Amino acid sequence: MTTPETNSDELLPIALLMDELKHDDVGSRVQAMKRLDTIALALNPERTRSELLPFLQDVVQDDEDEVITVIAEELAKFVQYVGGPAYATELIPVLENITYNEEPIVRDKAIHSLNVISKSFDDDQINSDFLPLIERLSEHKWFSHRVASTGLFESVILRVNSDLRKKLLGLYLKLVEDDTPMVRRAAAKHLPKIIDLLTEKFKENNIEEFNYDIISTMFQSLLNDNQDSVKFLSVDVLISILKHFKLNGDVSHEQELFNSVLILIHDESWRVRYMVADRFEQLVSSFNDPPSDIIRLIPEITSLMKDNEGEVRKAISKQLPGFCKLIKNSDVLLNDVIPCVESLSNDENEVVRSALASEITGLAPILGKDLTIEYLLPTFLNMLKDEFPEVRLNIISNLQIVNQVIGIQLLSKSLLPAITELAQDKQWRVRLAIIEQIPLLAEQLGVSFFDEELGELCMSWLWDPVYSIRNAAVVNLEKLTVIFGSGWAKAELIDRILSDKIDISNFIVRITSVFALTNLVPVVDENLVINDILPFILNLSEDKVPNIRFNVAKSLQEIVKALAKNQNSANKDEHLDIIKSKIIPTLEIFSKDEDVDVRFYAEKSIESVKKIVESF
Amino acid sequence: MDIDTDIQMEDAIDDPQSTTNQTSFFNNALNSQPPVDILSSDVNQLDAWIETLGQCKPLGEDSVKQLCKMAIDVLKSEDNVQPVSVPVTICGDVHGQFHDLMELFKIGGPCPDTNYLFMGDYVDRGYYSVETVSYLVAMKVRYPKRITILRGNHESRQITQVYGFYDECLRKYGSANVWKLFTDLFDYFPITALVDNKIFCLHGGLSPMIETIDQVRELNRIQEVPHEGPMCDLLWSDPDDRSGWGISPRGAGFTFGQDISEQFNHFNDLQLIARAHQLVMEGYSWSHQEQVVTIFSAPNYCYRCGNQAAIMEVNENLDREFLTYDPSVRPGEPTVTRKTPDYFL
Repeated sequence: MTTPETNSDELLPIALLMDELKHDDVGSRVQAMKRLDTIALALNPERTRSELLPFLQDVVQDDEDEVITVIAEELAKFVQYVGGPAYATELIPVLENITYNEEPIVRDKAIHSLNVISKSFDDDQINSDFLPLIERLSEHKWFSHRVASTGLFESVILRVNSDLRKKLLGLYLKLVEDDTPMVRRAAAKHLPKIIDLLTEKFKENNIEEFNYDIISTMFQSLLNDNQDSVKFLSVDVLISILKHFKLNGDVSHEQELFNSVLILIHDESWRVRYMVADRFEQLVSSFNDPPSDIIRLIPEITSLMKDNEGEVRKAISKQLPGFCKLIKNSDVLLNDVIPCVESLSNDENEVVRSALASEITGLAPILGKDLTIEYLLPTFLNMLKDEFPEVRLNIISNLQIVNQVIGIQLLSKSLLPAITELAQDKQWRVRLAIIEQIPLLAEQLGVSFFDEELGELCMSWLWDPVYSIRNAAVVNLEKLTVIFGSGWAKAELIDRILSDKIDISNFIVRITSVFALTNLVPVVDENLVINDILPFILNLSEDKVPNIRFNVAKSLQEIVKALAKNQNSANKDEHLDIIKSKIIPTLEIFSKDEDVDVRFYAEKSIESVKKIVESF
Repeated sequence: MDIDTDIQMEDAIDDPQSTTNQTSFFNNALNSQPPVDILSSDVNQLDAWIETLGQCKPLGEDSVKQLCKMAIDVLKSEDNVQPVSVPVTICGDVHGQFHDLMELFKIGGPCPDTNYLFMGDYVDRGYYSVETVSYLVAMKVRYPKRITILRGNHESRQITQVYGFYDECLRKYGSANVWKLFTDLFDYFPITALVDNKIFCLHGGLSPMIETIDQVRELNRIQEVPHEGPMCDLLWSDPDDRSGWGISPRGAGFTFGQDISEQFNHFNDLQLIARAHQLVMEGYSWSHQEQVVTIFSAPNYCYRCGNQAAIMEVNENLDREFLTYDPSVRPGEPTVTRKTPDYFL
């Protein structure tokens, strides 16, 4: 396009695109379509309208879905390329054609793009082009067209006058009551959005524009639908309706809507009950006075917690802290809810127990210290011994909440057996998850308790057969040192790593020791680095395994960094002396090593050490 | 579970340019030049490639071309029986299961801190042959002393046209150029390794035409894997319960009994033959009264066999430890999908 012969080549972009589109390979056609905006830009708006759009019109009628999807996506940004909002309606025919596609994903892209471009329409364009489109689609004899229409109402419902709005809602009601379940399902799915839009716009003096009579008819129709896959969508519709009344402080429909909740909870189909359980907190919070409404729902809650279907029990378990917060009466909690929680903790279905385990700790702050100890602690401990590892992990991962309420001392006694057991799990990822919890526990347990109960375990991970565990152990020790300090690190870690008990003849032990000590360098006192760590590292500089030698080279660089960290240190000269007399000579020997990698890492370290020394 | 009965396809297309006879030149040049330290610009380039590949993203065609050229320089100076020192971690078939290769490094430790010896079959069958073999070759060029990659029977023009690598290259690059580059490179891969003079490592097994390790050293390895003869056998043979030599059901190589292994190990003063080539459910399996070990490092082979994978750590005292592992966790990916192509059945 940038060639001098622009004039003669003017047709080239579109010609090229056409060529690419005739490519046998779908992938190439998809790629060509992704450049549609470039092509449109190269053509002017007029030619985009007169040549490109008709051309696309042909393509969308018989190309592959992948290609059509891209066209639908691209057209969303096309208002600017067809000459601005005045011409935006010219995009409608192509997109309308795509909404006829049999594949829902393709249709949805077109609907989305139509909604995007409709934002640039003025009121005339809405009335003359967009509303007729909605009408055409929603009254079409093919159900897929009617399904497509349900996604378009949200763009116009606030932009039309009162009469047209009534008419549109009337159209929508027909879709809600359509013969085909697929249409009813699509209508139900988009209805909450429409209700929310109406709620937001029409308050107080023009509240009649909300058209509750029509909305209510739609809701009742969905609530009594004979297909559970439609009916369960009415839960979200109900939430939107409740929000509307709550916002306007209107309690006149409260009882009627409350009864709808009861109908849904007692539905024969588990999918409907699942939907209520899954949205339970949101549903109850949308009532005018949640604390009193939830008390009336207690029998329903317990029935959901005892539901025959595991998925329902799982969903309500996930909502546990959320709705318990609303129950202000602790007698009700203790007498009605907690017994059900207990039985859920022994649920036959491990997925239910796992869901409960991730939420149950959230009950501790609600119950407070004494009640947690009395009622919840036994359940926690029981779940810590669960045979399913995910249950145990979910409890352990959330223990800090419980700790804040009752303190770690009480917890830890029963916690430890579970940790020790998981620490030896066959699956290394389970062991890893435990190691990652250790710093958290260490902070809570305090040093003496930690040393006594977990110190040994933390050291043992250092010698695990799996590298990732050893590495996690190294990081863990570093974090523990940050928590407990240098003195602790010397006594509990460094001295133990340097002790004779460790089999230094084993390569993995040596290299792991180097890793562990090097990681401690930045977080311990400098005298520990000089007196304990450095001699050990230097000692390995003549190791016969090159991998050790080049890790010594890397380690020495870290040590120099640590020694240089405190420039005002009284021992500055001493540090410089150590670097010059011990570290640099070792690195220089390495730089003439027989092994290429030792030479490489030595050179790298020398370079960085020299820079540091210059800044001394 | 007879999934690994890949047989040589007599009718597979023979690429006329590729069966390289010009290569005896390189063979004579073996070990003649001392390895030179790689340039620091190359180091940066290689580190960048390794990072890209580490995210399972293939390199561009030009980069592959450059990489293969560098790899030929490194590999042509290696021996038919590449000496490897201890400690080293020995691994078996990977077969394009890239994520499981990453899992392998999580278990055994990252290279270069851990030394590795891979015994072939990096490509075919898995969905990520391109990324897998590119990654290993890039590591080889970046850390030639830390990692050794041997040739497997799948590192061949004929086999890769049947078992997936060729198609994958075509799919990912739109042409067979990358396949050509890699299969030309495969000719330079060493065919065996000798760990501390005690453990003889190779992809397949022994050959009736090879009695001593020195005889392996005399082969001209830089060529397409032949249909028969000692080089073919080293990459194709399997140990067997029956003694002596037997005809291999694979159509290439032989089966060899305990008597053969004992004799070979005794004569060459070896402790052990380590090899890969066969699916074993526990990831490793002893044969011939611990004269031969099979190591297989592709867990849940072909995403459906349900086997464990293993690697063998050998320390400085030649003590051996086996680490077994399961497939890596890949959230968001279906565990087993795709219709199995007919030729698996």
